[in-house]
Amino acid sequence: MSALSLPEVSPRRRRTDRIMRGMLVTATIVALVPLVLVIFYLLKEGLGSISGDFFTQDPSGSFFGSIGGVRSAIFGSLEIVALATLIAVPIGIGVALYLTEYGKDSRFANVVRYFVDVMTGVPSIVFGLFIYISLILSHVGGNFTAWKGSVALSLLMLPIIIRSAEVVLLLVPGSLREAALALGAPRWRVITKVVLPTAAPGLVTGALLAVARGMGETAPLLFTAGVASGLTFSLGQQMNTLPLQIYNDILSPRAVVVSQAWAAGLTLVGLVLILNLIARAVSRRSQVA
Amino acid sequence: MIPPETTSKEQTDMSSAGGPISDQAEAAPDLSAMGERRAGHGVTVKGLNAYYGAQHAVKDVDIDFPANQVTAIIGPSGSGKSTVVRCINRMHEEIPGARAEGSVKLDEIDVYAPSVDLTAVRRMIGMVFQKPNPFPTMSIFDNVAAGLRLTGTKSDNLRERVHRALRAVGLWGEVKNRLNQPGVGLSGGQQQRLCIARTVAVEPEVILMDEPCSALDPIATLKVEELIDELKARYTIVIVTHNMQQAARVANSTVFMLDGEVVEHAPTNDIFTNPKDERTERYVTGKFG
Amino acid sequence: MQETRHQFREDLKELERQVLGGLDLVIGQLDRALEAVSYQDVELAAMVVADDDRIDGRYLEVHQGILSLLARQSPVAGDLRIVAALLHCIRCIERMGDQCVNVAKLVPLSGHDSPKDKETLDLIERMGQLARSQVSQSKDALKTRNVELAQDLVRQDAEINRLNRSIFKRAVEIGDDLELREWGMFMILVARCLERVGDNTVEIAEQVVFVVTGLFREMADIGTSPEAARSS
Repeated sequence: MSALSLPEVSPRRRRTDRIMRGMLVTATIVALVPLVLVIFYLLKEGLGSISGDFFTQDPSGSFFGSIGGVRSAIFGSLEIVALATLIAVPIGIGVALYLTEYGKDSRFANVVRYFVDVMTGVPSIVFGLFIYISLILSHVGGNFTAWKGSVALSLLMLPIIIRSAEVVLLLVPGSLREAALALGAPRWRVITKVVLPTAAPGLVTGALLAVARGMGETAPLLFTAGVASGLTFSLGQQMNTLPLQIYNDILSPRAVVVSQAWAAGLTLVGLVLILNLIARAVSRRSQVA
Repeated sequence: MIPPETTSKEQTDMSSAGGPISDQAEAAPDLSAMGERRAGHGVTVKGLNAYYGAQHAVKDVDIDFPANQVTAIIGPSGSGKSTVVRCINRMHEEIPGARAEGSVKLDEIDVYAPSVDLTAVRRMIGMVFQKPNPFPTMSIFDNVAAGLRLTGTKSDNLRERVHRALRAVGLWGEVKNRLNQPGVGLSGGQQQRLCIARTVAVEPEVILMDEPCSALDPIATLKVEELIDELKARYTIVIVTHNMQQAARVANSTVFMLDGEVVEHAPTNDIFTNPKDERTERYVTGKFG
Repeated sequence: MQETRHQFREDLKELERQVLGGLDLVIGQLDRALEAVSYQDVELAAMVVADDDRIDGRYLEVHQGILSLLARQSPVAGDLRIVAALLHCIRCIERMGDQCVNVAKLVPLSGHDSPKDKETLDLIERMGQLARSQVSQSKDALKTRNVELAQDLVRQDAEINRLNRSIFKRAVEIGDDLELREWGMFMILVARCLERVGDNTVEIAEQVVFVVTGLFREMADIGTSPEAARSS
């Protein structure tokens, strides 16, 4: 009876393995470099302008003297995005619920899905233009206003929320719906008491990601929210936002203003980063459960 | 349909300390916790035909399910046994493209009558599935209460009904100290008994079981079988099973189905000692797989 | 393609073969015991007694085989009935073997050169032939699952019972002769053993009917009914 023996790995295979590994590591580094550079530059150029005034003062807009801060921009961004979220999230989850619970594989549902996919590809400036034409030029409810900016942003956020929500809702096991139906629950209760609570963590993650996206968009706000510098909480007026503030300041001849623009960019990245971290924490908690 | 209060028994049970003897007593299914004996109601299926799109899965089936008895349905895969059972509580029509024709009567009530409330039918005819499916976002208590809450049943003694249901399935002793913990934290056998408690809490007339022990280990299986034996005192039970020995152990009468038709329906003892149909003999002795 | 539960079917067939073989052993023992009675052959009788060990051994083998099959294969329906029938039959075989031994043991007791009564011997011989053919027929009925053959055994058994009563009457008749009296009484005992062999074959016949129809009915023992006694 001959003893068993395992063949050794050929040197050619070892070489191939090493080459592949090398190529993949290189690709990773190439991808990471711009990312690292962006953060590096943001920190290098912007950190200097971060100060107490930066957060507590509105931009003065004047050519001489103190430049103020970006308080109105921060608040403005938060407000406009908050309103956009309030519009986009209920509608988006509603559409996703329709697609998974009622439409399923019907022709209409598939058409809806197709359109949603198309919307994710639409350039954000087109949304801005759409709102400009439909709401601004028609002078509905004022001229340039913050809420119109929110509407534009919500159009942007909607397809993201719908797609991520649909994925999450489909992940809810059919057996849970079956169990609830078999107990004698009407369909709407199955949705509100079983499907939504089970999908909740995933839905929140999807919404937060859409919000993070919305915070950073400039183009839709260009022709909708207008550019203001003063702090205002009224959504019926023009409002300042971080992206627009950066857009304005980066071309300024004054170096300190340019520096402030970098700082605003850093703030924006910081806000997006915080939102992403929250999203991850929420999704990890749901996995542990 | 709310059973009379058994307050004196409840009080002694709840006040007893957790000594070894009372733990054992609480581990056995105690159906008297649900109240006095009550006669169940039988189900009569006549001329049932069920389709998945164009596929004719159940062909002209007539079966009588006597009250307060366990009837098992056995047969090879694809014989239509699960479909028949799902037609009884009208879960079959939840599948897109599926439809059923024929008469299914709970006592004299025609379950398919156009004026009948679907959710009411499912409240009277409960179902336990192959894979235990407790609601993951709910605690043990909430899971058992789910049936009552999902159907909008107003219940001022909810706590009592939940405790009773847990006692009835013999789970009380194992979970009484952790009713607030997630339902999914229990073992497979306990989860299945939890699902049975959830079904029983709604106080149906009939309990349908679709291979309830397929996903359980042998000991958990025996516990569920013991429970089924107790449950028939109050309910009419229909159990679909792949495991012939289980049908032999648990059922008063057995139905053998093949290719969507009923081949033989007889007392279990007769099916397993002297079946009348050649096909039943061949299936039961394993002459065809 | 191999049939499902191939090993199980093989094991069951083997058990049945062993039981049928047991019936063959009984036939052999019966032949030799009867010869020993006819020719007063004491040595042949001693061999019959010794060979009963083989039948006892066969009983133990089949019993063990059945236990094993029940434990490991969970036979149901037709298979279950066969297993139950085989267990019953092997016990009948064991009992028939014991009856042959009883007959053989009577040979030396009845003396070496004692006078014999031809009529009684004829009756005994006829009874022996009948018993032998009944055992053989029960084997055929079991092997071929033939209900008619099984039911026919009951008819034949009536004949054995009738012969038994005839031998008894004859023994009473020759009882007056002091020399024949003792021998006559031993012949009564032999007849009774043969009658018991006949009863066992009827039990086997009942099992055959049970296996085929799933119904167990005691086949009427016509021999003991009052009408039959009057008619013989």
